[in-house]
Amino acid sequence: MKKSFTIYLTFIIISVFSFSCSKERYIDAPGNLVPKTVEQNSALPSISVNGALLHSEAFGPEDSTLIICIHGGPGGDYRYMLNCKTLATKGYRVVFYDQRGAGLSQRFSKSWYKSQGRDAINRIFYDELRGVIAHYKTSASQKVILIGQSWGAMLATGYTGKYPNEINGLIVAEPGGLKWNDVVDYVSESRSFKLWGETLNDATYIDQFMTGKEAQHEILDYKAGLMGTTNAIVGDLGSDLGNNAPPYVASRTGAVVNAASYELGQDTKPDFSAGINLFSKKVLFVYSSNNKAYPDSWVSRIAAAYPNKEIFKAQGVGHSGMFDQVNFWTTTMEPKVISYIQSL
Amino acid sequence: MKSFTIKSIIIIAVFSLLQNKISAQVINWKKNSKQNKHLLHINSGGEYGITAGIGYHRLVPAKKNPLWLGGEFSMPLGNELADDLKVKLGAQIRLAAFNYFQFSARVQGVSRRYHNQSVTLFNFGSDFAGTLGYYRKHWFLGVEAGFDKAIVTHFKHSDWYKNNIYDNVQDGWYEPATGGNFYYGLQGGYSIKKTDITLKAGKLLQQDFQSQPLLPFFGQLGLNFRF
Repeated sequence: MKKSFTIYLTFIIISVFSFSCSKERYIDAPGNLVPKTVEQNSALPSISVNGALLHSEAFGPEDSTLIICIHGGPGGDYRYMLNCKTLATKGYRVVFYDQRGAGLSQRFSKSWYKSQGRDAINRIFYDELRGVIAHYKTSASQKVILIGQSWGAMLATGYTGKYPNEINGLIVAEPGGLKWNDVVDYVSESRSFKLWGETLNDATYIDQFMTGKEAQHEILDYKAGLMGTTNAIVGDLGSDLGNNAPPYVASRTGAVVNAASYELGQDTKPDFSAGINLFSKKVLFVYSSNNKAYPDSWVSRIAAAYPNKEIFKAQGVGHSGMFDQVNFWTTTMEPKVISYIQSL
Repeated sequence: MKSFTIKSIIIIAVFSLLQNKISAQVINWKKNSKQNKHLLHINSGGEYGITAGIGYHRLVPAKKNPLWLGGEFSMPLGNELADDLKVKLGAQIRLAAFNYFQFSARVQGVSRRYHNQSVTLFNFGSDFAGTLGYYRKHWFLGVEAGFDKAIVTHFKHSDWYKNNIYDNVQDGWYEPATGGNFYYGLQGGYSIKKTDITLKAGKLLQQDFQSQPLLPFFGQLGLNFRF
């Protein structure tokens, strides 16, 4: 019995510690599990705005109508919107940027976001967008069109309401909600987990494999990214960028900005529809047929905030599909966008 | 003796190959008996997900420090039942006893697997815990605190992840430790003849003592059968 116990114990100890002699590889080392940010990789295109280094690039003639593409999240990145790049070949100046703390842009601590106080949404996101527009705008008369998807549509709406005279056109695709209670309802509806389902366990089971402190963005972003890749409820099954994809694959979720933004929202209850009633130009409101969390009734509720709008249903795609599915973009969405801009 | 030793190794090896883990077993130390050296247990509850488990332990009798050796296998529920697994193998020993109060310690090696659309993880870790309890013949109540460490983890990313998220992701073994969680809580049970009905519940805290797992609580209802 004593011998068997010794063998048992030895096996357990060996199994636990037998890997301690192999080469070290850290989960929080830049580039190992998630791509490096613009701070860590100077080869990436970047701009400096409001004290943050943002991953950003622009295509098309510099002096032509500026189209700013605003990604979802908070914490997403612009990669899935890159099909919009083809607008550059139609004579537009198309701008992409990853919001601070998101995508490949510079990371900030949660305490930094929280320290912005009750005016946080304005200071973090509106001022940043204003800085991006200022960076790329070459003249005062240059027209500015905002295209926002999901959270990006909420941000674009809030910004347009704040600066209605500075925006010449607004395209919003499925803003989750504009008043905070609607935002909460939409998030809840679009991410509902079944208690016994695979999605919930995929989200929770990994916490015993890897844990990260608040400042360990590589770990937190990686874990958040594993959960945000596909969502059958909203009909997103992965991007198809075709030839619009860059030669490298590097997408990264901003876990801290996502969590901090949600907490700030709970604290400050922002109203992204504030001032949008002053924007008299037509708004193109896009929603999708495959997003189960965005039925016609929800469209009516959310779109009511825009005084002048055209509502367009994107058939056969999901929450992001109007932008991230190259076939739909080429055949349907791009002509719609161009037609809208020309109508302004 | 020799056959038992070989059997033990085979059981451990099979469990290890299956990439499983043993989890903490709730034991009524007052019910230890040389006639009932085998303990089979089943449980279900919430621990990093909704889980179900089964296990076996064998008593190594000793007057002062009885020892239970064994293993436990568990998996979370979901559409793909076999993609996530956990096995713990180890020992649980009574270190001290004073009247009805007893203190025991548990040392376990942990092996676990995680799989989703993006990645398959395989991890070796350890689980250390101490339990102070009040044990009567028909019931018991105790407090437990422990630390579950993910010591070394293998990452294998899917083609989907490389084609859609990050093409230069580094697969392979990652160390030093990739994670760790403290846990503490209450456990208790009611014993009828050769059966114990057990319940434990508590809280999880990440090793930085600040962050919490997405599911920051655990709870488990179990049944022990002695034979």
